[in-house]
Amino acid sequence: MTDFQGSILSIVTTLLERSDKGDLTVALDTAIHGDGLGLDSLETAELSAMLEDEFGTDPFGAGLMPETVGEIVDFYTEGEASVPA
Amino acid sequence: MSTQPRTVVITGGSKGLGAGIVQSFLDSGDRVATCSRSATPLTKEWESDPALADRFLFIEADISDREQSTAFVKAVIDRWGAVDVLVNNAGVARDGILALFSDEDSDTVIDLNLKATIHLTRQVVRSMLTKRSGRIVNISSITGLTGYRGLTVYGATKAALDGFTRGLAREVGSRKITVNSIASGYLKTEMSHGLDGGQLDQIVRRTPAGRLGEPDDIARAVQFLVDDRNDWLTGQVLVIDGGLTC
Repeated sequence: MTDFQGSILSIVTTLLERSDKGDLTVALDTAIHGDGLGLDSLETAELSAMLEDEFGTDPFGAGLMPETVGEIVDFYTEGEASVPA
Repeated sequence: MSTQPRTVVITGGSKGLGAGIVQSFLDSGDRVATCSRSATPLTKEWESDPALADRFLFIEADISDREQSTAFVKAVIDRWGAVDVLVNNAGVARDGILALFSDEDSDTVIDLNLKATIHLTRQVVRSMLTKRSGRIVNISSITGLTGYRGLTVYGATKAALDGFTRGLAREVGSRKITVNSIASGYLKTEMSHGLDGGQLDQIVRRTPAGRLGEPDDIARAVQFLVDDRNDWLTGQVLVIDGGLTC
């Protein structure tokens, strides 16, 4: 697991615990919405803000709409953002 | 004094009502960040006060410029970590009947009073969401409730701000963030200088309290709305006008 993967999984897990969804299992192929994590729009906004706090940018703020946790990781690892090393 | 200092952002705090609100939060022991297009003797006095060295931040910024607005919020978060209280006070009035009003004046009033407030609030509310708490107060005006001849566009922006308050209160209420408006009456500040003596006399005659308001009349209401204990008061427009509209 890369540092990015670990950090992002940790952020998502923290958000789920705060939302009383701590029993959900998070993996890279887990869907963010619907039958996956089931994040609503406000929880998605929280995730967006938490990612921005950690990395200085976030995929939602960049106009993207990742569908899985792995796609969030891809946003940072594919160099689409200026992420601190 | 608050038990724990809060980080309070007040837009347009260099003079008038905004300065009164800044002073109120400095007096209550909080950390205060404010901005305006230029410094004033008052902001310089606060900046040079050793007792406020770690509790006061002033940044020259025109928040109707989104880059400057973003930089202001970022500077506050970089310095103090998060925002606990946001008071959207910055505003501008241009008087004149609509039939003679210029598009440029309309843009100026709407850009600052409404669009800049929405942009800055969006940034701050993201910070509040990460910690799931916060207090937002929008300084509105009774002209948005009753209308006032010559303040059509100004009143429209304030009515819109009240709508913004209600919508945002519904969005973020579940995250322990409250959002309220204060519809201020006519104060003895530069904002009322567009009204002539006859208009001001008429306002005073029709005001049950028999006087124009002072900035501290509004600042005390802001303190009430942002009190930690007032977490069941949200989405409301509190009218503070000496009874003028009752």
